[in-house]
Amino acid sequence: MGKLYTFLKYFFITIWTVFVVAPFLWALTTSFKDFNSVNGGVTYIPWVDFEPNLEGWRVLIKSPAQGGVDIVEPYFNSLFVTCTASLISIILGTLSAYALSRYTFKAGPIKNNDITFFFISQRIMPPIVLSIPFFLFLGAVNLLDSLIGLIVVYIVLLMPIAVWIMVDFFNKVPREIDETALIDGCNPYQAFFKVVLPNSIPGLIVAGMFCIIFGWIDFFFAFILTFTEVQLLPVKIVALNSSITPWWSLSASALVSVAPLIVVAFIVERYLSKGNLSGAIK
Amino acid sequence: MNFKHKYVFLFPGLFVLIGILIFPIIFVVRLSLSGWNSYNGLNFIGLENYVRLFTDDPRFWESFFRLSFLSVTTVVLQYVIGFALAHMVWKEIKFQRFFRVLFLIPMMTTPVIMTVIWRTFFHESLGPVNDILGNFGFAPKWLTDPTLAKFTVIIVEVWQWTPFMFLLLLAGLLSLPKEPFLAAAIDGASPVRKFIYVTFPLMAPISIGAIIIRLIEASKIMDTVYVLTSGGPGTSTETSSFYIFIKGLREFQMGYAASMSFTYLIIMIISLTVIAKVLTKLLLKD
Amino acid sequence: MNLVGENLSYKLTEELQLRKISFNFEKGKLYTILGRTLSGKTTLLKTIAGLLMPDSGTIKFEGKNFLEIPVWERNIAMVYQQFINYPHLNVFENIAFPLKQRGLDPQKINEEVFNSLKLVGLEGYEKRKIQELSGGQQQRVSVARSLVKNAKILLLDEPLVNLDYKLREQLREEFKNIFINGLSEESIVIFSTTDPREAMELNGEVIVLDEGKVLQVGAAKEIFENPKNLKVAAISNDPPMNILKADIDSNKIKFEDIEIDIPDHLSKIKDKNFNFGIRASDVELNDNGFEFEVELAEISGSETLLHLTRGNAKIITSIEEVMDFKIRDKVKINFKSNKAYAFDETGNLASSPFGGSSV
Repeated sequence: MGKLYTFLKYFFITIWTVFVVAPFLWALTTSFKDFNSVNGGVTYIPWVDFEPNLEGWRVLIKSPAQGGVDIVEPYFNSLFVTCTASLISIILGTLSAYALSRYTFKAGPIKNNDITFFFISQRIMPPIVLSIPFFLFLGAVNLLDSLIGLIVVYIVLLMPIAVWIMVDFFNKVPREIDETALIDGCNPYQAFFKVVLPNSIPGLIVAGMFCIIFGWIDFFFAFILTFTEVQLLPVKIVALNSSITPWWSLSASALVSVAPLIVVAFIVERYLSKGNLSGAIK
Repeated sequence: MNFKHKYVFLFPGLFVLIGILIFPIIFVVRLSLSGWNSYNGLNFIGLENYVRLFTDDPRFWESFFRLSFLSVTTVVLQYVIGFALAHMVWKEIKFQRFFRVLFLIPMMTTPVIMTVIWRTFFHESLGPVNDILGNFGFAPKWLTDPTLAKFTVIIVEVWQWTPFMFLLLLAGLLSLPKEPFLAAAIDGASPVRKFIYVTFPLMAPISIGAIIIRLIEASKIMDTVYVLTSGGPGTSTETSSFYIFIKGLREFQMGYAASMSFTYLIIMIISLTVIAKVLTKLLLKD
Repeated sequence: MNLVGENLSYKLTEELQLRKISFNFEKGKLYTILGRTLSGKTTLLKTIAGLLMPDSGTIKFEGKNFLEIPVWERNIAMVYQQFINYPHLNVFENIAFPLKQRGLDPQKINEEVFNSLKLVGLEGYEKRKIQELSGGQQQRVSVARSLVKNAKILLLDEPLVNLDYKLREQLREEFKNIFINGLSEESIVIFSTTDPREAMELNGEVIVLDEGKVLQVGAAKEIFENPKNLKVAAISNDPPMNILKADIDSNKIKFEDIEIDIPDHLSKIKDKNFNFGIRASDVELNDNGFEFEVELAEISGSETLLHLTRGNAKIITSIEEVMDFKIRDKVKINFKSNKAYAFDETGNLASSPFGGSSV
């Protein structure tokens, strides 16, 4: 019985692993093809089925004028927007989360949990609902097709995540630590910065990671709110999809753009094993 | 002694959020009461849009059912598979670290970009899936058959987001207290019994949280649909989000799109609250 | 000047309240707040600290309205029952924290911290991380940190309750020394506990608290000898004092089917029906005594507690050795009636062996 279970376990894991890896492998081999390779039908293994070619990859480096695909600028744009918006979201979100965790608010019938719910409910809105008004709003203040405009919008997307994670985290830090800091002569701000915050690093890292992930993968807002001046990575790649770009450049671009977050996967696993993520759900 | 510091902490975040949101929200509501399209400006037509929505637009409600079907199916699948995976890499296993990282990776990729790859993957004549299956005699129309297209969307969504469930559930498993398991071991419980009576109940609160969060995110399915099928073939994978997108940004019936958005928002908030309560009662009835 | 509180009321929940509490704490003295769980001890301490604002009432310290001074400007220190230390700092930094906050220069800080470490017996532990320490050591760090400030008011909220028995006794002894050497002569020390024995050992002025009200105030000895009423008798004894309804008839005390000769100090009480009180330690095994049946035998430390019954009467007796009794064993006991108490029907102390009375 135990043996059957172990066998099933490895079997299932193998299948899932194949499933996870499949699109990557396919993209990888595709990226090395060129027109000659796809003439006879679908091909898989380089050197066996077809002659590998670096055309797909070379295209990434060439400038558009030479027929290349420029993904360097979108790359950095995405990076900049995501990181800035995440940073701001975490700063503002953590402050608010601390207040929601430690103090009671009451404005008529509205209490702490309602305010927290308000923050989190921003995630429910599908991008469409907000995209049209944001489109008009940014247009009115001349921030369409700009990095700053996008950052402003991303804050709405990411702050809820920061608040959600940090409220839960702060709830797990004993209140008595804040109290002791107060007794030791700290005013509430000092207590927060000198005592609570240093003990919240794991929570901040988790919040940071989730913010970066959800910011990096946004397609829709970037799609709606930027055109030519500013292009973000996801938008660029999708644009390639609809044009006549051959599959190999497409695959190469795609692979390059998803690579960075794999690093994040390692960091997440590290913290997971240390048991630091367990507080993020309620 | 005053407590004004508590407001100093809360308000920056709250104000920034409300500040950024306030105009768009009010605008959406106002817009929904207008007939803004390519011809009219911001006129006022009262509740006409809503009336039309509720009486004359079966396509919206169909899209809503489709959305419910898609999101519930994917979330259930993600939950089951995610839980299974989490459970398997929870305890000592060969290459544990490798598998844990590997299983996290799909979530770290940009959905749209991966979907572009999936599109080539499932391509009916040039893609590897049909090539391999062709050897066995059948080549399903992954992207052009109405029913199958839904299935393809589900496959892509499951690939993309199961890691999210996996992550939350594994974190949950790792944080469980040891005592109940020791007790079960002493009582000589089999692995199956252990799971049903110890592991699963202990994971109930985390499961509910994970499911709700995933449902919130899954209901926004848009990227995948846009790239993979553009809502098609026909309208078979058209979700509410996509339909609103078409009406608003393709057909430019902004006023109507706004009313759909607002209705959608209310329905979502209500259903999620209901689902949360039901799940809580169901899983925590101990 | 003193720490004076008047009519402090605070409502957290229906159960947890302070009801018009007043106190007058003098400088240089040790006060023990004795009460059961949920009696309001922690709430009271936190209110004095400023972590909670009372709904009504005033607190004045050195003549100034304490309530207007925020927590961080009050010159206080507090030790919690859960060992609270800053997890991200090591032992030295933990103790130095309040001094650093005050802006003392590093040399002075060094000096003070090392003095404190010596006082709590943790020399050599400066570089250790908090997580590496045992519970007792962590609590010592908390105490050291609270001493280093030379605060005018030192609050301790059941600081020993989470330590094991031996450690508790040991630290209790050390506390006496710590309080004398570690604090200035002007400091007020307020120590809360649920354990009457702890209150007696500390030997300070005891304030008995129950359900948010002050029941009695007095020297430890006084509380012990003359508890004002039944509630105080219950709170200030562990195990609780045995209380039996009895009446006097022809110079004998009668309860159940037992008759005891009436001792002198009880002979003058007025009511014929009263509550007869006797401590578990004043009920002894005696072969010529009254027969009771064992309901339960507990071993507590090096004592045996027997829960006995006879008819409707229930008595607990404590024996100063470990003995083996089984349920339904029969034992014979005698009451040291010269140590007995009488409480009238409303529960107030009518007569005590030490001459006290509230009626």
